[in-house]
Amino acid sequence: MTTTNFDPTSGRNPAMNPAIAMSPTAGLSEGRTGNRSRAGLAEKISVRNLDFYYDGYRALKDISLPLYDRQVTAFIGPSGCGKSTLLRILNRMYDLYPKQKATGEVLLDGNNILSPKQDLNLLRARVGMVFQKPTPFPMSIYDNIAFGVRLYEKLSKSEMNDRIEYSLRRAALWDEVKDKLRQNGMSLSGGQQQRLCIARAIAVKPSVLLLDEPTSALDPISTAKCEELVDELRSDYCIAIVTHNMQQAARVSNFTAFMYLGELIEFGDTESIFTNPAKEKTSEYITGRFG
Amino acid sequence: MTEIALDLSEDVTVLRRARRQRLQDVAFRTATLFFAVLVLLILGGVAVALIDGAMPAIRAFGVGFVTTEVWNPVTDQFGALAPIYGTLVTAAIAMLVGIPVSFGIALFITEMCPTWLKRPLGIAIELLAGIPSIIYGIWGLFVFAPFMQSTVQPFLIDTVGQLPVLENIFMGPPYGIGVLTAGLILGIMVLPFITSITRDVFETVPPMVRESAYGLGATTWEVVWNVVLPYTRTGVVGGVMLGLGRALGETMAVTFVIGNAHRISSSILAPGTTISASIANEFTEAVGDVYTSALIAMGLILFLITFVVLSAAKIMLIRLQRKAGA
Amino acid sequence: MNAIYLRRKAVNRVALSLALGAAGFGLFWLVAILWTLLFNGLSSINLALFTENTPPPGGEGGLLNAIFGSVVMTTVATLVGTPVGIMAGTYLAEFGRGAKLAEVVRFINDILLSAPSIMVGLFIYEVVVVRMGHFSAWAGALALAVIVIPVVVRTTEDMLKLVPNSLREAAAALGAPQWKVITLVAYRAARNGIITGVLLAIARISGETAPLLFTALNNQFWSADMNAPMANLPVVIFQYAMSPYEDWRQLAWGGALLITVTILLLNIGARVLAGLGTTRK
Repeated sequence: MTTTNFDPTSGRNPAMNPAIAMSPTAGLSEGRTGNRSRAGLAEKISVRNLDFYYDGYRALKDISLPLYDRQVTAFIGPSGCGKSTLLRILNRMYDLYPKQKATGEVLLDGNNILSPKQDLNLLRARVGMVFQKPTPFPMSIYDNIAFGVRLYEKLSKSEMNDRIEYSLRRAALWDEVKDKLRQNGMSLSGGQQQRLCIARAIAVKPSVLLLDEPTSALDPISTAKCEELVDELRSDYCIAIVTHNMQQAARVSNFTAFMYLGELIEFGDTESIFTNPAKEKTSEYITGRFG
Repeated sequence: MTEIALDLSEDVTVLRRARRQRLQDVAFRTATLFFAVLVLLILGGVAVALIDGAMPAIRAFGVGFVTTEVWNPVTDQFGALAPIYGTLVTAAIAMLVGIPVSFGIALFITEMCPTWLKRPLGIAIELLAGIPSIIYGIWGLFVFAPFMQSTVQPFLIDTVGQLPVLENIFMGPPYGIGVLTAGLILGIMVLPFITSITRDVFETVPPMVRESAYGLGATTWEVVWNVVLPYTRTGVVGGVMLGLGRALGETMAVTFVIGNAHRISSSILAPGTTISASIANEFTEAVGDVYTSALIAMGLILFLITFVVLSAAKIMLIRLQRKAGA
Repeated sequence: MNAIYLRRKAVNRVALSLALGAAGFGLFWLVAILWTLLFNGLSSINLALFTENTPPPGGEGGLLNAIFGSVVMTTVATLVGTPVGIMAGTYLAEFGRGAKLAEVVRFINDILLSAPSIMVGLFIYEVVVVRMGHFSAWAGALALAVIVIPVVVRTTEDMLKLVPNSLREAAAALGAPQWKVITLVAYRAARNGIITGVLLAIARISGETAPLLFTALNNQFWSADMNAPMANLPVVIFQYAMSPYEDWRQLAWGGALLITVTILLLNIGARVLAGLGTTRK
């Protein structure tokens, strides 16, 4: 087990904000991740003893881990390991379907979002999500982005225009679409559609971004663009990304969580997970011996 | 544009808006539920209205209503046996013609016809299913009935009408209009319905199953008879029942050509009547509560018959769907 | 080439010939009907058909009041039936997944879809005509609306089910409440399909005769009063065709052709629209 005080963000992201206050890493089950100093990192989301059931079947088993603000956390593991399920708990997407249940705690800025009192729509406005396949709505590019904004804010026309330009710029799509904002969002290429979806999520001004295998349906060039974008966005958001591409996890993330059969096997900074994993299972997966 | 992330949870207007949206959600959901229940209420309403309207006739005639043939508006004596008989016989004739022919067309479309013809033919069949029954009625009255009278019926009377037993069924004179004519028109009318369902049902057979049979060297007919039909049996029967439901309740195609005679003849060349034809012909002219009520009571009988037939059809089609989905 | 194989081939040939024969036989009659309709109907299509009211026996005239009545009642029926159908279909597709009630509604709706339309006429007669004390265009329109509803319910449900769940999730992920997800995103994605359903429903009711016989009745004269009996094409065709007057019969053929062409056009339009919907995906 490595115990160096490697700061995964150093050198990679010099613009990183200084920490606000360090949250205790209370949720971490000791022994899994070791006691690594993470001074200067704010815990945006804390998952504590989380279990998840599909119609009685236990799909996630006692998961505890932190998600740090202004950091990218990657979830890796073979398909069916529960990584997407975990992500879909963070904005309670699972609530759309019957017979699914989560127990334990998921704290977002200290509030338990699993509480029945949680307003789901407000939660989802704060936690943006981008899906595996691009999901442009059947409307213009402009309306695609304005859709989410109009839900909670009343903006003047010029404010809305500004917001749309801002989100498209942040999603590195502005130059490509600025002359055709009235065109249907579905007319864009796959990679552009995915960036439109990212812009759409950003426009609502969330503080957390969940990316569920965002590049699995994209070609290599679009994938590279998206990864660049994630790197860009790191400085402002708490980002969680599910990926089955280990190189991608290594490239874009600061922290990595390896999951297997519904359990969190190992969580740590990306560098050590990939160079010196603590668990046998992790190293087997990373070296491609299964999965 | 300074803030990257908005903290919505602190903003009072946002919270108010969120609460309003929750209420709107409940309202919308309740509204859709209301209209869904309304669909149930419509069917329930039909049943209740028919029972209510039929009460005077039921009180006056009791069970005898369905077992007597008398239909005398002058003396207010009504029995539904003749229309029930006519309904069943015309529907039977329609099925006798409709089933094999629709089956042949569906077989032709799915297994034999060149690919370029498949779609246009399928669309043509579906368009024909959209033609209203009154068109079949008017055609039947002006074209088909005269043709029956001049050609088909004399031929039937002279040939099968001379044989023992059958002579009762094909007894003259050739009126043109009558039970047989109505049944045949119904048969033509249900063709598009049964054909399009049978075709859809045939297409639920997975190509692999079909291809494996062909792969063993089976002929087209053997594939259809031994693989496609057994696989789709419930669906085909469901389609046929749906067609039967149409034939039983069809009004306009029959009303024009059945002759509206409240009597049961052994000959299918003779005029008769069906439940729906009687209602259509007499309802607005019916004087007196009992007369009207007798007609509504027949509507109730029709309702019960078609409800059973259509339910059976639906259950069979659902079964096939489950099988195809599994 | 052994005997068994030869026999099998013979059986195959006979069976397929029979199928071919059946197909030819069935299509022959269907074509024959359209042909006579065209032949007889075309000769009575003229300007007077659209500009003059239905004539008394032996007189000259057209079908103006009947056409007007049909258009009015069809429009009202569509306006009443479509929202009901869309809402109920929305319940089945969006809220009722797995619910027992939804299964029952779906079943009953399918029964209504193929139930004899004359029963709808009797139903409206009992609840509207008897209560109001007279026949009226309202009653006719309501009877037609009852027929529109199941068609729209069915297509709305089917079309909403074709909308991928990922689209709903994406909208929900932005914080949209469910009713906005449905009305702003799912409806939009299913729009062509739903319009197709409405067109098919209009096609269905434009030729319906039985439900109008004792609801809207008929009216020999021009009438725009929804509270009074109103002329309509199907019932006029029925009465005129059954009449002994040659002029009336001619008008009936003209009306029949008019209805059929309208319905075919609506059906084709619906199909084209449905086609547009699928190619865009």
